[in-house]
Amino acid sequence: MKRIIDRVRMRSGRVMAGLMFGVAITPLMALSDAGQGATGEAPALAEKVAAGELPPVSERVGSEPAVIQPLDSIGTYGGELRTGLRGSSDHNGILRVVGPQGLVRWDPQYTEVVPNVAESFEVDDEGKVFTFHLREGMKWSDGTPFTADDVMFNVTDLILNDEFAPIPARYTTGGEPLKAEKLDSYTVRFTFAQPYGDFLAELAAPLGQNPVLYSKHYCSRFMPKYNDNIEELIAAENAADWQNLFLQKCGDLEIPARWGNPERPTLDPWVIIEPYTGGATRVVMERNPYFWQIDTDGNQLPYIDKLVMPIGADTESLILAIIGGRIDFGLRHIDAPNNRPVLAENREPGGYQFFEAAPPGGSNMVINLNLTSKNSELKKVFNERDFRVALSIGMDRQAIIDTVMLGDGEPWQHGPFETHPYFDERTSTQFLEHDPERANALLDGLGLVERGANGMRLLPNGAPLKFRVDVIPTFDPTWVDALQLIEQQWAEIGVDMDINPMERTFFYQRTSESNEHDAAVWNGRQSWVSGQLPHQLVPVSHDSRYGIPWVNWYESGGERGEEPPVSVKKRLELYDKARGIADPAGRRATMLEIASIAADEFEVIGVSKALPTYGIIKNGLRNVPESMPSSWSYPTPSPTLLQTWYWAE
Amino acid sequence: MLFLYILRRIAWSIPLLFAVSIIAFALISAPPGDYITSFAATLSESGDVVDQARLDAMRERYGLDQPFLVQYWHWISNAVQGDFGISFEWQQPVSTLIWERMSLSVTLALATLMFTWALALPIGIYSAVRKYSIGDYVVTAIGFLGLATPNFLFALVLMYIAVVYFGADVSGLFSDEYQDAPWSWAKLVDLAKHIWIPVIILGTSATASLVRIMRANLLDELHRPYVTTARAKGLSEWRLIMKYPVRIAINPFVSTIGWAFPQLISGAVITAVVLSLPTAGPLMLQALLAQDMYLAGAFILLLCCLSIIGMLVSDILLAVIDPRIRFR
Repeated sequence: MKRIIDRVRMRSGRVMAGLMFGVAITPLMALSDAGQGATGEAPALAEKVAAGELPPVSERVGSEPAVIQPLDSIGTYGGELRTGLRGSSDHNGILRVVGPQGLVRWDPQYTEVVPNVAESFEVDDEGKVFTFHLREGMKWSDGTPFTADDVMFNVTDLILNDEFAPIPARYTTGGEPLKAEKLDSYTVRFTFAQPYGDFLAELAAPLGQNPVLYSKHYCSRFMPKYNDNIEELIAAENAADWQNLFLQKCGDLEIPARWGNPERPTLDPWVIIEPYTGGATRVVMERNPYFWQIDTDGNQLPYIDKLVMPIGADTESLILAIIGGRIDFGLRHIDAPNNRPVLAENREPGGYQFFEAAPPGGSNMVINLNLTSKNSELKKVFNERDFRVALSIGMDRQAIIDTVMLGDGEPWQHGPFETHPYFDERTSTQFLEHDPERANALLDGLGLVERGANGMRLLPNGAPLKFRVDVIPTFDPTWVDALQLIEQQWAEIGVDMDINPMERTFFYQRTSESNEHDAAVWNGRQSWVSGQLPHQLVPVSHDSRYGIPWVNWYESGGERGEEPPVSVKKRLELYDKARGIADPAGRRATMLEIASIAADEFEVIGVSKALPTYGIIKNGLRNVPESMPSSWSYPTPSPTLLQTWYWAE
Repeated sequence: MLFLYILRRIAWSIPLLFAVSIIAFALISAPPGDYITSFAATLSESGDVVDQARLDAMRERYGLDQPFLVQYWHWISNAVQGDFGISFEWQQPVSTLIWERMSLSVTLALATLMFTWALALPIGIYSAVRKYSIGDYVVTAIGFLGLATPNFLFALVLMYIAVVYFGADVSGLFSDEYQDAPWSWAKLVDLAKHIWIPVIILGTSATASLVRIMRANLLDELHRPYVTTARAKGLSEWRLIMKYPVRIAINPFVSTIGWAFPQLISGAVITAVVLSLPTAGPLMLQALLAQDMYLAGAFILLLCCLSIIGMLVSDILLAVIDPRIRFR
């Protein structure tokens, strides 16, 4: 087995390691060596074993548990970890703490994909066939065995089942879904029609947990295929149909109901005791007695007994709880710059310290002019590259950073940082200088010479050149302040911009859904590695607000939306190609080719580098890194392995 | 006579409820986007990514792509049979979600109502009878302060002081160990220990306004000839005031019952949010923000029902207390 792991590390590991994140922090991950057994367990579980209520720990974790090297030291059992949730729809706050226990996961440094639920994996040379070896004797949280049958159930009965939900794009290549086969009780194989180099990274992300999400013996009873009396069950549970019943009982990756049923068996380090439901005021999770990871001394993880997550109504009550010392770990919702002073001031009474959360790259604020605007006059002007360049050099980024971001920034367009292997100089740093004279000359050169009474330029048809930038003020409080400065700076080059702040649902509906905006602000915190959507580079997501109809065209395979221009089409093709390339160097070259085309076109305008934010961690909590990557695909903080965190005596 | 009157009022409430349900549903649908849009917006605000295809499938499953009238018909036709549908957000039946929180809402509202009356009645009477005394000025000053301070602000200030100076947490209705415990004597005691803070916070402005109303009404009555007559005939001052002017002045108190019923749910939403009280108000607010149509719709329908019942009850009580009021 060791041999296989090494080969995998050679192929997708070592080379990626240099490429993924650039800066390597101290290595702390030792891959599992088959054969080490579990010897230690939490005192409460040992009592249960002695009373005959639980099988011994070596039986519970199976013969091939994952062996984890803790960051600093072997821990001691006990205690609670309190993290806060914010009102409704904060289910991903739980997910990020518990972690998506997929077949594979990101290592703590966000540099390579390592085995997780799978004991090891192999990829063929073409990048089409993925074989996963499962852990012998591994069990669900209710003690039933986890085998290849569970994976097959998840893939064939749910992922590939159109009646349940459409097949997620990440399990298809060229429109064709994967084929799954069971080689033996502990081996499964996924085969794709075309090479799919990004597949492992997709599986490591929170949305890639599907193949091992549901336990067959529990969840199959909510499907008509396995239960002849399903109608009775639907009526008894007040559900609308079997799909609703299934979601109620077993949840889905990203809905609150995932954490709503304490009966559902999982592979997570902690299992639900007090569920996340409509009336809940807190969520409590308790250690999973069958968790399949052990530390290097053979102690079963997790160290911490319980997760307690009080549900605060809003960010303010979360902050109050933190300064009152009632939260042990916090990052989500609280890391805006304006909360920093009050959190810093109360470090001592609250008994906590800061840690750093570093975005993988990119920019905190990117202005997207709508290149597919419904206003034909504006569309014509926006599509002139010189116009966009003029706006970029018409901006005084340093002034914005100094006044709005309190100096915490650096002029930047978007894209990975200098230290990252994907760094592309032009994409990130062209047109950053403040040069109003040249900007004026460029605009004059476009024929926008006529000026109105207020000194602002006129469009060729005589109407004033004026557009509105849509923005959500509550999302990032610096955005509106920055836009106010930009409004003044652009007025100096005769461009009339209006800030259009609006409620987030309205923003979403106006921009991503109906394409009614002139321009919009969003972020672009990306390094373009596998598993991230490079939405400022290629129109592939509803956050690509410079060309929403192009996104629709791409996502529907040309059926809906608007056919994009050649340069965009070329990039979309290259992006599909890059996702297929198994060789990291080849993938990098293709992504940089895309970046180079994007730099030629210069479609989006960035403001400042996405510098690290901060979270709080209670004093006395051990094995917590001082700095961690901050990203959805990572997803912070779970890959730092909270199951190895513990309380110092 | 009374029976017929009640019957007529109930019969009238049916078309009223129907009209309100349409307006409520229309209002919930009025903001741009739908539950899916706001779901996607909430997730991406936290830096999470959602699957567009999944979202589209959800929208279709929930029937959100249907025209307004079709959605309304689907909802109301089931609602009259007692099935209020499934909450999009929680995948749970709406009726379960609402009833879970109602008991605490009712407890809190009743406690607040009792607190308000117990305080406002005697103070109101005192400050009217002892008009312009020092006691009256003190009570009046406090009353104006209570009226002028929004409840939620009072709650925030109290919470901040409690956390920063006493290291205590005044939010919630239960201690940690009782939060999800089954009901027991110990849990009841725990509730009693916590409930007085929200009761005081919620009760202050209502108390202040009732004191002012009581004082003004009683002052009107105290100079009526019948009071002078009674006094001239040698009735004791205490019996005189309590039996005649107070009985008339109490009229507006009884009218407030009509508003008190819907307040069970909608009252003090912001305060409940600030104090993280597990009552119905915050759930309703969440449902409205998330455009969780069926849950929000059921809440609004319930509010409307409670208003109608509350008005009916207060009308009947008024007639009982004040013999001059007659049913027609």
